[in-house]
Amino acid sequence: MSYSVLNTDGFEPIYISSDNKRTCIGIDSVLQEWLRANEDTLPSDIQAQVDAGTLTIADAD
Amino acid sequence: MTKARTNASASPAVGRNIIINGAMNVAQRSASVTGIGASSGYSGPMDRFRISAGTTAGRLTASQTSDGPNGISANCLKFDCTTADTSIAAGEKLLIEQRFEGQNLQRIGKGVAGAKQVTVSFYVKANASFTFACELYDHDNSRQISKLFSVTSNWSRVELTFPADVDDGSSPFGDDNALSLSLFIALHAGSNFTSGTLNSSSWANATSANRHVGIDSFYSSTDNNFFLTGVQMEVGPVATEFEQEDFGTTLKKCQRYYYKTGITTSNQDPFGVGQGFSATVGDILTFFPTTMRIAPTALEQNGTATDYRIFGTGGNFTACSSVPTFNGCTTNSGRSRFTTADGNADRAAFFGNGTDASAYLAWSAEL
Repeated sequence: MSYSVLNTDGFEPIYISSDNKRTCIGIDSVLQEWLRANEDTLPSDIQAQVDAGTLTIADAD
Repeated sequence: MTKARTNASASPAVGRNIIINGAMNVAQRSASVTGIGASSGYSGPMDRFRISAGTTAGRLTASQTSDGPNGISANCLKFDCTTADTSIAAGEKLLIEQRFEGQNLQRIGKGVAGAKQVTVSFYVKANASFTFACELYDHDNSRQISKLFSVTSNWSRVELTFPADVDDGSSPFGDDNALSLSLFIALHAGSNFTSGTLNSSSWANATSANRHVGIDSFYSSTDNNFFLTGVQMEVGPVATEFEQEDFGTTLKKCQRYYYKTGITTSNQDPFGVGQGFSATVGDILTFFPTTMRIAPTALEQNGTATDYRIFGTGGNFTACSSVPTFNGCTTNSGRSRFTTADGNADRAAFFGNGTDASAYLAWSAEL
């Protein structure tokens, strides 16, 4: 399972899972768990959001 | 003349069970989940009962099963071991968990003077005799206590009373909607959780090695199964009779944490009503049946684009060109984007429908 950027035309970017079953915003806990687990190998579109500061990888609780 | 009540009690007759869905009657996500153990956490099949699995080769199927103890519940949660794991690595675990908001635990008075005992009770059976552990874990203050219990091949009720925890006198559960306490039932654990001395007599600052000492392994054989229902947690030193609750009340409590809407009778049934914003894009609004714990941050759906459609101008159905997607939420409603290839939604009102009985939209606000 991975995520990609679905669109950036709303108030904030929407991300979609690779199986198309789940769409979410950047603070979503499931997306954040995936981001932390794959921090060093993120897809380019996701990495671009992180680099631009529009997607923040939060520390685990 | 005014007469004082003589039956006042810290454990009221109704509403004393802090557990939600203890009778295992509500399973919104599905009635069965296979392959559990491949990932770290599972929110189903039973609402409010999370399954935590560490890195393990063992696998199980969890299902809602109509085999509950007569007079307690028709349903139970069943675990069936499908892949054994007899080489237990240090970090392995298998836990059934219910998580609680701090604002729903204030009756315990934990962490301050006057804190109360808590009694946990539940009905269990298995294919053979096992020893497992029940643990309370205070997330606000990183404190815990565990007690062992026995399981046989017949239904029996386990009753465990946990002592009050005053702690340092100034560490109550947060009075808010965040995670404060977990109830764990531990069925399998590696040495990270078993190499110390079981902390069973009083609450203590959590030490992982002391949490699940002395338990057997559910993954020891593919013969193994485990059944659980009638779960209750209440204030005080006594396990009172399992509190029965009507299905609608339990469902509404569960929907504070997860809400799934779907088509049950006809593909004419809408998920919500919406408004087109352009020739191809519009949003529907779905009102939740109860206020959710937090505003959901994701939309779950099942199916492909053509499993969804809009019903709009001129009474025309138009198939979606992509699956519905998240476009905002409050604690009371979800806004979902429906996209089509033509202009049927163009600045007009429409219904957002499914075309297949398996299609649904769902939102989570789990702890």
